[in-house]
Amino acid sequence: MPPNSRSDGATHGSGAGSTEGSAAGSEGESTRSGENGRVTAEFVDRWRNAAYNCYSSGHKFCREVCPVMQVTRDEVHTPTAFHANVVAMEKGHLSIEDVARDYVHCTQCGACELRCPNTLFTGDFYRFRTRTVELVRAMRALAVDTGIHQPNWQRWVEETVRQKSEPVLGEVPVSQENVRAWADGLDIPVGGETLLFCDCEGAFSRTSVPRAAARILQRAGVEFGLMREQWCCGGPAAEMGYVDRAREFAQHNVDDWRAVGARRIIVFDPHDYIAFTEDYPRYFGDEYDFEIVLLVDLVAELIRAGRLALTQPVERVVTYHDACRLNKRKGIHETPREVLRAIPGLTFTDVDHVTQWSYCSGAGAGLGIERPDITAEISRRRVERAADLGVDTLVSACVWSERPLSEQGGKRDHPVEVMDLLELVAQAAGLNGSTPGPAPRTGVAP
Amino acid sequence: MTATLVTDPVIDELVQICGADHVFADRSARFNRARVPAPFPVHRWAEHVPDVVVLPTSAEQVAEIVRLANRHRIAVVPRAGGTGLTDGAVPLRHGILVDVKLMNRILEIDLEDRAVTVQPGINMLKLNEELQQYGVIYPDDPASYPCSLVGGRIGTSGWSLIGGRYGHTRDLVISFQIVLPTGELIRVGDGGGRKVRKSSSGYQLKHLFMGHQGTLGIVTEATLELVPRPEAEFAAFFSYPDYETAWRSTGALARSGLATLAGVVLFDEWKLAYLRRDDEAYIPQPDSVRCVVATAMYGTTDEVRPAARRLLRIGQESGGSYLGDEISQGDWASRHDRYATPLHGRLRNGQVVPMSWHCEDASINWTALPRVREEWHDIVRRLADRYPIFDDWGMFAYTNGAFKPWGDYLTEIDVGIWEQELDDESWSAWVEAKRDIAAVALKYGGSISACHGSCREGEVDLVPQELGGGFEVMKKVKRALDPNNIMNPGKYLLDQAYEGRADEGQAYEGGETT
Repeated sequence: MPPNSRSDGATHGSGAGSTEGSAAGSEGESTRSGENGRVTAEFVDRWRNAAYNCYSSGHKFCREVCPVMQVTRDEVHTPTAFHANVVAMEKGHLSIEDVARDYVHCTQCGACELRCPNTLFTGDFYRFRTRTVELVRAMRALAVDTGIHQPNWQRWVEETVRQKSEPVLGEVPVSQENVRAWADGLDIPVGGETLLFCDCEGAFSRTSVPRAAARILQRAGVEFGLMREQWCCGGPAAEMGYVDRAREFAQHNVDDWRAVGARRIIVFDPHDYIAFTEDYPRYFGDEYDFEIVLLVDLVAELIRAGRLALTQPVERVVTYHDACRLNKRKGIHETPREVLRAIPGLTFTDVDHVTQWSYCSGAGAGLGIERPDITAEISRRRVERAADLGVDTLVSACVWSERPLSEQGGKRDHPVEVMDLLELVAQAAGLNGSTPGPAPRTGVAP
Repeated sequence: MTATLVTDPVIDELVQICGADHVFADRSARFNRARVPAPFPVHRWAEHVPDVVVLPTSAEQVAEIVRLANRHRIAVVPRAGGTGLTDGAVPLRHGILVDVKLMNRILEIDLEDRAVTVQPGINMLKLNEELQQYGVIYPDDPASYPCSLVGGRIGTSGWSLIGGRYGHTRDLVISFQIVLPTGELIRVGDGGGRKVRKSSSGYQLKHLFMGHQGTLGIVTEATLELVPRPEAEFAAFFSYPDYETAWRSTGALARSGLATLAGVVLFDEWKLAYLRRDDEAYIPQPDSVRCVVATAMYGTTDEVRPAARRLLRIGQESGGSYLGDEISQGDWASRHDRYATPLHGRLRNGQVVPMSWHCEDASINWTALPRVREEWHDIVRRLADRYPIFDDWGMFAYTNGAFKPWGDYLTEIDVGIWEQELDDESWSAWVEAKRDIAAVALKYGGSISACHGSCREGEVDLVPQELGGGFEVMKKVKRALDPNNIMNPGKYLLDQAYEGRADEGQAYEGGETT
């Protein structure tokens, strides 16, 4: 049996199990040649300074806040290692083949960046901050560029390319024909100046979330439409290293937006929000001039403005799960709490957003596709923390987190139900029929 | 001789012991466990790579690994957080690296007899997150508090920022279980009771197995002190126009006899100049501020409130100006983050370059601090004159005693190193400077290290001089407990223990279970 199970998945040699070269007391160089060598050299050149900034500090404050590291306790899954590997690649000690699999072990939640002393204390001196998430994405892209694929990610992206939406397992079979099926009966027009973008998990699995989103907007009198032909935002492909694929999705979506004269895109999924506010501007530069609105921010505004009345008590004892991409990546932690506090009947036991830097569902950045075992354990721990507070409901604002959290919440002797914030808001607004439908099927395709 | 070649059959045996998921022989796993924060000459990385990495989950597995290593004469290097500032966790002879991070469970919280029992891979911050709900804490508070692990704290005999009030690691670890270099599992403490703090029964072995830098075994469980979560924290920072006044004030504060006083920290003029020059978070002070002294107190409100008044009076009467609540509370609260602050230094022409932080520490009596400070800065100045990749980042002196913060000080000089430019010649010069720094500590009756350990290149040469006959005992102990020299070989000059030994070549077979 091979001693290193974590390399089993890679379809390209990973050097696992090899101890040759160590006997004489020095390590042979990892090979690097040809086109891959040039690509790697360029990569190292681009990341050298960032890597040394971590390497020079080397204190690993990031470690205990990392949701993956908390589970695996494996030093190669740490942001420290993610940076040190660049130095090792520069020195010829490690190659992309040696480390590609390690970089699977990241949800791109961004906690490590917040906890990094370099970000906290010296960043402004250089106009520098630690960018582990970007480094992980870049390393994954380097792997793909050099022909190293993680099999489940590769299949996932191929399926997404084929069907234009991610192959999520859910209530609705994934296809272009069904991409607007979640909106059946809601009379939402196609096109317009403002569009509601529905992510793949919402469209095919937890359809109660986009339905709640749409009905809340309708109730508040916000005019909006849907895309003519909505493709995946491309974010997951980009996160897994398939940047060219991601750009194809982005190009299609932006073309579709332009074709209907859209100016404003409303998103409820934090992953879409990241893609549209960070990836798309990088792809399209100055010509990308859309206003991207996060629905939870808009809902808070509508409540404040008296345009959305929450009058129906929701008798639940809840705590809020800070969505990583909102809290840690975007600094958005106030408005979800503001919305929750506006819901009558709720007993809300809060855990502050800094404590939640170390919380995660484990669903992000494809971890659940390659390492569902780790995702499940991260989610189990998150739900356990909620249960410790004596709540019956864990409220999330990230539809992707809700699948693994629900699975773990349902397994408990005293189940913790996982609800989306928008589902609760819709209930409180008296929008019946917006409660969650049948429990989503477990697992992910393919 | 200690073998360094880990063969496939050895790996198979390790898999038998720990399971395939916990044995790693790939390059990434091994290269990423070769290093500690500092000092680590990046150009010699490949010399310190272990042959195989194991992540055991139980004391029994650790014991089996050690017995296996004895049978095959393979070096074993324990690794907890790998955040130490000496080379304890660096595998100088390759071999099997035993990474204890998966052993991070809390085994028992005893609120009656005030003790928590944990595995060695747990971090203090994480432990205190769990303890918080019970109104108690484990008050071991190094600068690396958010990342270092209990096992490493024992292996290095760590020092705590609030040790003046609560004691240091050796005072806070009541007892622990350790796998000896021959694979037996024993418990050491004050006497035999797991939660007994004071005993006069038998040899006091706890200290022997603390701070050995992995040369005498692997800690697999520890029972730790619990103290009431302090009701009140009071921090006060004072400024001074010159070092002499600041130093005298430090002594007066430390000798005040205030039981809640957790620590006094003296920042010298070089440190202030460095912070002014390059610390983003430094809150600007008038140029007349040349030195700073920081103090902190912990306890019940009834204790801290009147003590704080007296502390302020002593600070001011001894020449200090109170720096205000914002700096005092804010800077103290960020003390852990601040230790990792240095990210860059400067060449002589002012050019900013990325530099690693290297900290040399010693235990120095209060009376000797001014002279040690001058001689240490001279050493670093001479080094930087020859090799501009080094930069003097100033000195701190922290009260070093447990429970009573007077007498001697953890004294450190921070040196920036542009590690990317390091080569054999400049590395040799650095090692020489470290030796000189250690020699100054000994010249003034101090100890080479207060908290990091003294087993790195350079300083380690002076350990026999520091310990005298004690070093001979160290060697005898090492040889008696580790007949095959498999536990972290190459550290502390302990190879000398095996020179000319008649039974060389006869392996200790181990094998019995305990």
